[in-house]
Amino acid sequence: MPPLLRRFLVLCASIFAILTFNFFLFHIIPGDPIRLIARSQRLSPEQVAKLREAYGLDGSIFTQYWTYLKNLAHGDLGYSFALHENVADVVGRALLNTLILLTVSTTVVVLLGIVIGVFAGSRHGSKSDSATVVTSLVFWSLPTFWVGMLLVFIFGVWFGGLPISGITTPNAEYQNYFQYIADIARHLILPTLTLALVDIAFFVIITRTSLIEVMSEDYMLTARGKGLSRRTMVWKHATRNALLPVVTASVLYISALVAGAIQVEVVFSWPGMGLLTYNSVLARDYPTLEACFLIISVAVLVANFVADLVYRRLDPRVAVA
Amino acid sequence: MTFELSANEEATAVPASGFLAMLRSIWADRLGRIGFILLLLTAVVALLGPLVFPFNPADVGVDSSTILQPPSSAHWLGTDELGRDVFREFLAGARISLFVGIMATLISTIIGAGIGIAAGYFMGPLDTALMSATDFFLVIPALPLMIAMGAIFGQNLLIIILVIGLLSWPRTARIIRSQTLSLRQRQYVSRAKSLGASDARIIRRNVAPHVMQLIVANTILVVAGCILAEATLSFIGLGDPDRISWGSMLHFAFVSGAVGLGAWWYFLPPGLGILVVVLGFTLVGHSFERIANPRLKGH
Amino acid sequence: MQTSDDSGLNALVSRRSILRAALLTGSFVAVPGFLSACAPPTNNVVATKSIKVGWKSDIDTFNPLTTTTTEAIEVQSLIYDTLSAYGLDLKPEPSLATSTTQDGATITYTLRDGVTWHDGKPFTADDVVYTFELIGKNQLGINSQYFTEFVSVTAPDAKTVVATFKSPQAFDPGLVVPILPKHIWSAMTVDQIQKATNDKPVGTGPFTFKARTQGQTVSVARNESWWGEKPSTTGASWTVYTNDDLMAQALKNGEIDIIPQVPPTVFKGLEGNKDLTSATLDSFSFHHIGFNLCDKPASKGNPLLLDKNVRQALGYALDRNQIAQIAYAGYAAPGGSILMPSFGDFYWEPSADELIDNNPDKGNALLDAAGYTAKDGNGIRQTKDGKPLEFRIIAIATTSVDVRTAQLFQSSAQKVGIKLTFSTVDSDTMGSTVYNIDAPDWDIFVWGWDSGVNDPSYMLGVPLTSQIGGNNDVFYSNPAYDALYTQQASELDQTKRIALVQEMQKIFYEDTAYLVAVYQKKLQAYANSGFTGWTQVPGGMIFNFTRDNYLKVKPAGS
Repeated sequence: MPPLLRRFLVLCASIFAILTFNFFLFHIIPGDPIRLIARSQRLSPEQVAKLREAYGLDGSIFTQYWTYLKNLAHGDLGYSFALHENVADVVGRALLNTLILLTVSTTVVVLLGIVIGVFAGSRHGSKSDSATVVTSLVFWSLPTFWVGMLLVFIFGVWFGGLPISGITTPNAEYQNYFQYIADIARHLILPTLTLALVDIAFFVIITRTSLIEVMSEDYMLTARGKGLSRRTMVWKHATRNALLPVVTASVLYISALVAGAIQVEVVFSWPGMGLLTYNSVLARDYPTLEACFLIISVAVLVANFVADLVYRRLDPRVAVA
Repeated sequence: MTFELSANEEATAVPASGFLAMLRSIWADRLGRIGFILLLLTAVVALLGPLVFPFNPADVGVDSSTILQPPSSAHWLGTDELGRDVFREFLAGARISLFVGIMATLISTIIGAGIGIAAGYFMGPLDTALMSATDFFLVIPALPLMIAMGAIFGQNLLIIILVIGLLSWPRTARIIRSQTLSLRQRQYVSRAKSLGASDARIIRRNVAPHVMQLIVANTILVVAGCILAEATLSFIGLGDPDRISWGSMLHFAFVSGAVGLGAWWYFLPPGLGILVVVLGFTLVGHSFERIANPRLKGH
Repeated sequence: MQTSDDSGLNALVSRRSILRAALLTGSFVAVPGFLSACAPPTNNVVATKSIKVGWKSDIDTFNPLTTTTTEAIEVQSLIYDTLSAYGLDLKPEPSLATSTTQDGATITYTLRDGVTWHDGKPFTADDVVYTFELIGKNQLGINSQYFTEFVSVTAPDAKTVVATFKSPQAFDPGLVVPILPKHIWSAMTVDQIQKATNDKPVGTGPFTFKARTQGQTVSVARNESWWGEKPSTTGASWTVYTNDDLMAQALKNGEIDIIPQVPPTVFKGLEGNKDLTSATLDSFSFHHIGFNLCDKPASKGNPLLLDKNVRQALGYALDRNQIAQIAYAGYAAPGGSILMPSFGDFYWEPSADELIDNNPDKGNALLDAAGYTAKDGNGIRQTKDGKPLEFRIIAIATTSVDVRTAQLFQSSAQKVGIKLTFSTVDSDTMGSTVYNIDAPDWDIFVWGWDSGVNDPSYMLGVPLTSQIGGNNDVFYSNPAYDALYTQQASELDQTKRIALVQEMQKIFYEDTAYLVAVYQKKLQAYANSGFTGWTQVPGGMIFNFTRDNYLKVKPAGS
């Protein structure tokens, strides 16, 4: 079996495992299932019967599981009585907003992190190297939500001038599309800065360590022996190999990225998956919470799969099997 | 969330002897020393602080003028939204934050060690099965799952400890498994066997100390992660409502408008506390890793 | 020599590429910065100025017959008209009906000329008849409580509507019922109406529906063909904010014009701000502690609460002044009767002997006399068979004032030897737990009430026996109280009515089914640079019985 296909099947199996895990997790909630779905609404017997049918509550837990899978296949994530909307619609909007935030901040974090990491690693043993390491360790130990609170205080309360909540200015009227993008960009500044301050450290340390390892390898001695300049050695030879472990390590980063994004969305009221998760916890809106957890987990699995593909494409040494 | 400061997991170090030697090495390493001091500071604050300055949650202010007041001689870190002394609250919060972090780590270490040793020792299909499960849990984003479980199972301290512990074992399991695997193939084990030493003796003298060091290094880093997890869960509002932790202090600061009021005495100290503790554990764990694997470059 | 291997990564990591990457990252930061500097969105042009309100939760629906949230009612009150409406003095004024006369059990409305629906069709008496019949015959929606005695409604001519009830109605439902367009609603069956979301509501009101983004904003635009005096504002919009502090910041930087509900601690930070006007208004609301008085065998509430001595002891333990000062940061008055002081002459206040508040000694004496003298190691009292006086207390997690009240009450209860274990729930679970009429599984709650109308009937009507399964949140049942309610509901003589209402309050207070903890102030704030001419009304400038502030304010600087 071609290795790509095999890995793809593993991905499918993992997604299926998550679906199942998700279902059983949300079906051991204590309490009357009708009450949990319909919340405080007083339902007529016909409405109760319709709900029981829609969610398959009459059957065994396996019938419900089957109904759940069938609904998922149709893109039906259920209905939220707390939000009075189809969960799929709510999640769709939120997901888009989160992707905007993640795309921008991940780009900043990864690029800056690698650049600083190479800078530090290539000056291994020097003062700037140690300073970089210490600073990174300090920033990595910060709770992301606290950094967000501090930025809200500094730029929202103390100095003002930067938007501290939401994705756009409420009720703004734009004269052109350009202004709309600019408004979103302004609202992205503080959340991205928050994520960057904490997460850049991860890539700095990984890149630096990896670069140092590589630079001390035997083939680097050969390169030095060949008389190549230090710069060429670092940028052309060392970095290429050093970046491979960084890609592997990125897999671990995804989990931290999700955690950071949730915190940032809560602090800055960014209307994405993180804020949706937070609000559905506050309201104990289980259908929405279940969908949030599911979507986030599946997204992470897919991201890992893609990262794995990138790694294998980049590393010519990896055996094809 | 912790990450590997070293790029490879396997190592062939000679086990250092004794706990005191360990401490001495940490002290010798500059970053390790700083971390150790930070931890010592935290221990003093958490253990002695509440004894000298006990906090009584029912000790609310006398009237509305005592709410969210800046530091004064009566209240060194001002008051919170109920007029209570923030300094004493901070000291009390230290205990819970540390307690949850350490207890959750214990659970995760026990589970992780169990799974890792079983997988590494028995190998074969059991290994594959356990590692698939471990990889699965490694990939699932931890915070959303903790949030979901916290919302479903309720908000008391034990449940939070369990939830955090149950989601932190994968890294421990992997590290311990790889150590167990490499040890099984250790040259000196087979050499000792050919000399007639019993398995138990081999494990005790050659295997266990080395494995222990790596487990300890990993555990220390996991504590840092668990403390951050508790702080985040409490901030989101899933903490135990009967206990004050640094995370819950930040939660109340955030929802009661302390940030807008500029009540820095309420939202700065708990965050700094978390920073100091997490940094302490990170530096010490990082240092430990290096001592356990002296061949690793890049430090 | 350099290799000529041109794998993608090699090209990526040449020094020039690193520099390029740095530039790219730099531009990610610089470009948005530049963009944001050059053209901020235009939302403060006076010519198209609409009132921007910030609040904490979204509306549930535009359907007045299924709505349950105050937010939705607020928006609907601008899209629909009622027959008469509250003015800024909270007295009824003509609206769709130019005059209203009451004669015994009959109310006659004389309708206004020249009114059209938002879709252009003319408003007629048939619309009023249709609306009254729809609610009266089917008991639909929250206004159905004013139609329990409804008999019939007719339109003797095109300008008159006559509604008949079983007995005289002290409260005229014409003040609150939004009149619906028959030509749209009669196309639906009652069943369909109960499911309808009414996404594009059509009314006769001063504002028409404009747009809605679920979970975020709702907006309305000025109705240029409204029958009344055209408002200066070109519209209104309401935006949901998840965090009170961030909402306050939005007010400070002009993103919104007014916040109708500011929590006490956040309000503290807005007072004294020169660009804002903060208003501390009397309200028609209270927060209370309720006891589960359900005496069914299936009830899971603690039966010890059925003993009035226990409830009164808790009442004596409660320190309402402390709650007002600490839980409400001073923005509340200690509570007592089920009617708020804003009801003026109707309001009853207990005398010094009748007062059940902040007197732990009296509470302890009461419990001793009632036989709860045994105590355990922690000082918690027990019944003669050793059952501890321990009760569960719940509050909504996101209502911080209730959470703080419960915490303070926990300490207070200790003083009379009673233990309270506190847990929080979300608001919907609160509703379904408390209002579970079959087997209510709770002991004590902390919650609140807002009077739906500017008339004592609403609040007095809550603890009626007939409201068990309806608004009655504590399963209180007292036939004497019920009888007095029926009397006052049809008593048109004001003095006689006041006497009846006062007696009702006294009975209810003494029965201690509620501990009304505080009458909280309504805390609102608006930006001076937004609109001017706000009239401060008891109950709120907006989010109140009257919508007139929306109609009367003018953009600042105009």
